Amino acid sequence: MRQVWVVLRREYLERVKTKGFIFGTIAIPLLMIGLMAVNILIAVQVASSDRELALVDFTGRIGEEVAGRLGELGYDIELMGREASLDELDRQVIEDELEGYLVLDDLTLSEGVFSYRAKNSPGGTRVALFESAVNEIALDSYLATISTGEALRSLIEGGRLEFESVLQVEDQAEAEAARRSGIAFGFGGAMFLYITMLLYGAFVLRSVLDEKRNRVVEVVISSITPWRLLLGKVLGVGSMGLTQMGIWAACAGLLLLVAAPMIAPQIPGADLARLAEFVPGPGVLLLLTAFFLLGYFLYASLFAAVGAMCATEEEAGQAQFPIIMLLIVPFVLQSATLGGGSMKWMDWVALFPFFSPVMMFPRAVEGAVPWWMTGLSLVFMAAALVGTSWVAGRIYRVGILMQGKRPTLRELVRWVREA
Amino acid sequence: MNEMAVRLSGVTKSFGTHTAVSDFDLEIPKGTILGLLGPNGSGKTTTIRMIMAILLPDAGSVELLGGSPDMSRRSRVGYLPEERGVYPKMKVIEQLVFLGELRGLARGDARQRAAEWLDRLGLRDWAAKKVQDLSKGMQQKVQFIGTILHDPDLLILDEPFSGLDPINQDVLESIVREESARGKTILFSTHLMEQAERLCERVCMISRSRKVIDGDLKELKRRERTGAVAVEFEGDPDWLDRAGVVERERAGDAWHIPPNRVRPDELLAAAVRDGVMLRRFEVLEPRLHEIFVRHAGEDAAGESTEPAMRPKGGGR
Repeated sequence: MRQVWVVLRREYLERVKTKGFIFGTIAIPLLMIGLMAVNILIAVQVASSDRELALVDFTGRIGEEVAGRLGELGYDIELMGREASLDELDRQVIEDELEGYLVLDDLTLSEGVFSYRAKNSPGGTRVALFESAVNEIALDSYLATISTGEALRSLIEGGRLEFESVLQVEDQAEAEAARRSGIAFGFGGAMFLYITMLLYGAFVLRSVLDEKRNRVVEVVISSITPWRLLLGKVLGVGSMGLTQMGIWAACAGLLLLVAAPMIAPQIPGADLARLAEFVPGPGVLLLLTAFFLLGYFLYASLFAAVGAMCATEEEAGQAQFPIIMLLIVPFVLQSATLGGGSMKWMDWVALFPFFSPVMMFPRAVEGAVPWWMTGLSLVFMAAALVGTSWVAGRIYRVGILMQGKRPTLRELVRWVREA
Repeated sequence: MNEMAVRLSGVTKSFGTHTAVSDFDLEIPKGTILGLLGPNGSGKTTTIRMIMAILLPDAGSVELLGGSPDMSRRSRVGYLPEERGVYPKMKVIEQLVFLGELRGLARGDARQRAAEWLDRLGLRDWAAKKVQDLSKGMQQKVQFIGTILHDPDLLILDEPFSGLDPINQDVLESIVREESARGKTILFSTHLMEQAERLCERVCMISRSRKVIDGDLKELKRRERTGAVAVEFEGDPDWLDRAGVVERERAGDAWHIPPNRVRPDELLAAAVRDGVMLRRFEVLEPRLHEIFVRHAGEDAAGESTEPAMRPKGGGR
């Protein structure tokens, strides 16, 4: 075991010390934080800086209400009646005394159409905000003139399904929150598993291939069994991955704890309390760890076998295609069923060990499958891991010393049998 | 003396239809330096890889340090493969420590030994450099240190001298001699016969995947002696004619007389009889290269004169 540790440490240190790792680990979160900051900054600026608007109400009925609603959204509104001079307002806009102004008239009352006059066209957010505010008020004002307005309105809105839970009221809210966060964790977790297996699997492939290409493997293999070498290598790359993810998680946590409370009040419509729903609990993390470990080892063994088979990077690029397909297919299937389109037979597809990380994990945290199915998929994965590591270990043992062309499938079978 | 560091018997290895090593026997007594000689592609590397259990023989048995070549025995071997490999991005010292630790040295111990060896081979200033920044020759020295760092009982060096300049070849040779003097067993392969002639106590010649001849170098040379003579003297070479020499060849100040019907002792007697002022009279020993060509040629022709190089079974 000491040898495994020696290999693990070398693999880990040599990887962690590379510029690529430092860049990838530090720069990516920084970049994301930077992007988010810029986004937030823009949003805040757009939302606040040019909030000084005039509202010209020719209807004399809904102006006050619209101004009030826009005021709630954080706009600084100057309400004007029929006396307003549009020419004067245009001049103010041109001379930058005013960002722009809204005009409500009879058409607004009858069809919900209103105009916004400014130098620059409004952003999508603003259009949506204005439209929702004006339309709703215009509709209400119209319906108020009809006696059965309330009922008609409900009908116009297309009716709605009222979900009645069999649970107690407080449990019901909890269950709803749990369902929502379950979907979020499920999706996030599947994404995470997909990316890590692909990324770190590729690292394992690279590591095996490099060792083979620079011929150092013959020296190493004379003093350590191929199994231990492979194990140390996979563990080393895995530890590197955990370090990287740890750093990222710490960054995300920091962002959530420190930055979010500072920024949230600046953004209209953001609810800080809801963020708490998106901090995963220990059960979810445990499940994620289990799926990650099994999935990573499963795919790492396959990638290692490919690395051992190939002599050049180009060859490896081609040879790893089937494995990448094994990862992409469940990801596509999972994306298709996202958002509740649950097909029962997919639950059984998710039991296929190579698909399980991406497909079974989200099902498990959403509570879409019974617990025994989750358990069964973990057992299947473990069994598959025994199989793949047996085959991959044998391919690895023979392959790392082979130079020259990639073996055919038949030769590969012989390697496995004879190793 | 009877204890063998390596014993191969009847070892055969094929890759597909190509037979790399065929029915190969080899014994290396402990404490000797054995040279495995043969041209490129003759099966040297395959043989060595089977000793190191990197390849498993199709038939026959391999014994290493008195038993099967398992990991504990292999860890007492210092193995320098022909395919030189390094981790190009690792620092020299770290690479050596890694190799040392892999073979069971404690970290601190490995570090200290590596530093000593680097010192000795003039690489002290390069210890903290990345291996890829070193010249090829320096990399090779680093590899050699990696081979010998854990003080192995048996050194197996596959073409250790290729690619080294003469000065570094000398350094390496002297280390090999030193290790031998400390009682270590050394097996090295080479296609340079002169190197083997200088360094080996025993040789094993291999050609086209078969052993041609092996044995103690001195004994082999004695056995393979042909009766060729080198003679240097003052005055006319007429006495050679009188002694019955028909063929002769000028080589600097000396005359080379190929083996013929005049035996060396008769020739010497003739010189004394004629009162020739002899400066040198030497019964020439055959060079390894000659021995090799002589036997490998016969082997190739399918003839056999000695059991040691009897080709097995002819065609298959």
